[in-house]
Amino acid sequence: MTDHLSHAILNALADGELSADQLANANDHLAGCPSCTSNALHQTLLKSATANAGLRYAPPLQLQERLVRLAFEADSEPQSRGFRAAHLSSSWFGWGSLGWAAAALLLLFTVSIIFVQRAAQRVERASAEDSALVTEVFDQHVATLAKNMPLDVVSTDRHTVKPWFQGKIPFSFNLPQGLPNDTTLDGANLTYLRNQPVSQLLYSIGKHRVSVFLRQRSGQAEVNESLTERSGFHVMTFGTNDLEALAVSDVDPARLAEFASAIKHAQTGDQPGSK
Amino acid sequence: MRLPWKKPAHEAGPQTSTFECLVLPLLPSLYNIAFWLSRNATDAEDLVQETFLKALRGFASFEPGSNFKAWIFRILRNTYLTSRSGLAARRTVALEDELNKNGEAGPAKVPEAAIDRQTPEVNLLQLADRAALQAAMETLPPELLEVILLCEVEEMKYREIAVILDIPIGTVMSRIARARGALRTALAAQLSSSRGIAHD
Repeated sequence: MTDHLSHAILNALADGELSADQLANANDHLAGCPSCTSNALHQTLLKSATANAGLRYAPPLQLQERLVRLAFEADSEPQSRGFRAAHLSSSWFGWGSLGWAAAALLLLFTVSIIFVQRAAQRVERASAEDSALVTEVFDQHVATLAKNMPLDVVSTDRHTVKPWFQGKIPFSFNLPQGLPNDTTLDGANLTYLRNQPVSQLLYSIGKHRVSVFLRQRSGQAEVNESLTERSGFHVMTFGTNDLEALAVSDVDPARLAEFASAIKHAQTGDQPGSK
Repeated sequence: MRLPWKKPAHEAGPQTSTFECLVLPLLPSLYNIAFWLSRNATDAEDLVQETFLKALRGFASFEPGSNFKAWIFRILRNTYLTSRSGLAARRTVALEDELNKNGEAGPAKVPEAAIDRQTPEVNLLQLADRAALQAAMETLPPELLEVILLCEVEEMKYREIAVILDIPIGTVMSRIARARGALRTALAAQLSSSRGIAHD
């Protein structure tokens, strides 16, 4: 075993700043060094958590509107000047009509720009939040696999796992009785996503581990079902009546979808024997 | 140093990309960084507006197609340095002396013994606590806070950060290492403090 990876290398690894050679050397070392692997993982988790925590302040609406107005005026200034010069010789009435029309168009355009910007920002923010959530879930799943700590509750019995959460989370959920072939319940953790308590259920599909994070849905917004790939893992998002679920694993996406379907149907109660 | 976005004066002319299209998507990021640095809403608004106006005035010299984000963040950072909150922060922190008495020209000079080898599980609990991490970030001096915000939140490369802050890449690496070390220390302090309270 060579020396441990330096602090600078660990930082550059987390920031994606290593050259191809450095990255290959670091990966070789990580393959045989649990200590550095743990530190690299921790560095990545710190980076991800800092990125999430750093997104803290949103500009007030009046500032956005003021700057949008300024930007628009700046962009339209040359055209306005040209427009005025070309029409100085026209009649007062004609100039006045065109002026009003231009003003109305300007107002319409400004309002449209503001709405488009707001919509774009909302979409961008929602997309960034979804991406950050997937990252958080992925990190927690990998951390669960990497650490040698026992689960909060270790049991293959759904009648043991579900009651363990009583009084610990502000919602309840069902665990499916009938699981897909070769799928077993391993236990569960109480953990947090976005400062909300969530249940992390651990299953095995064959030799693949699966984490299912269940949390309360925020508001009445529908949960869009989606499948995201992250470093060879798949994160599947789906919604049930009152819950949002995220399942993450490196198992084949088809088997993950079959498993997610069992979890989903257990919540809606349309699967016989769900508890 | 010729900055990548700087256009020679004789080439300055009409812009193909409008200022509005380039700057408006960056407003949330500019305001977020401005608030973190100035630590209050009024100063953050002033800072963003002044940055905006400076950028607008200097837009004719911006090279179309080059890195507008780095350009305007550099303006924000320079505006902050000369602002009331920036000057106050600089009076309280003796910049390079405080950061590295040995100089910062090269990569991080953190002794290996000082590398945090504590059990990751300890800090995983803290990392899940967004408020705890934000409190830890608030303890960072501006020079470390700005580099960590640009690197983590804005996902900028070391090269871009070096241009914005006008420092060598080695110094960027050194400050990032120090910032992360300081965050871990602050989180560990919070954890031991909360445990102390729990034990009382």
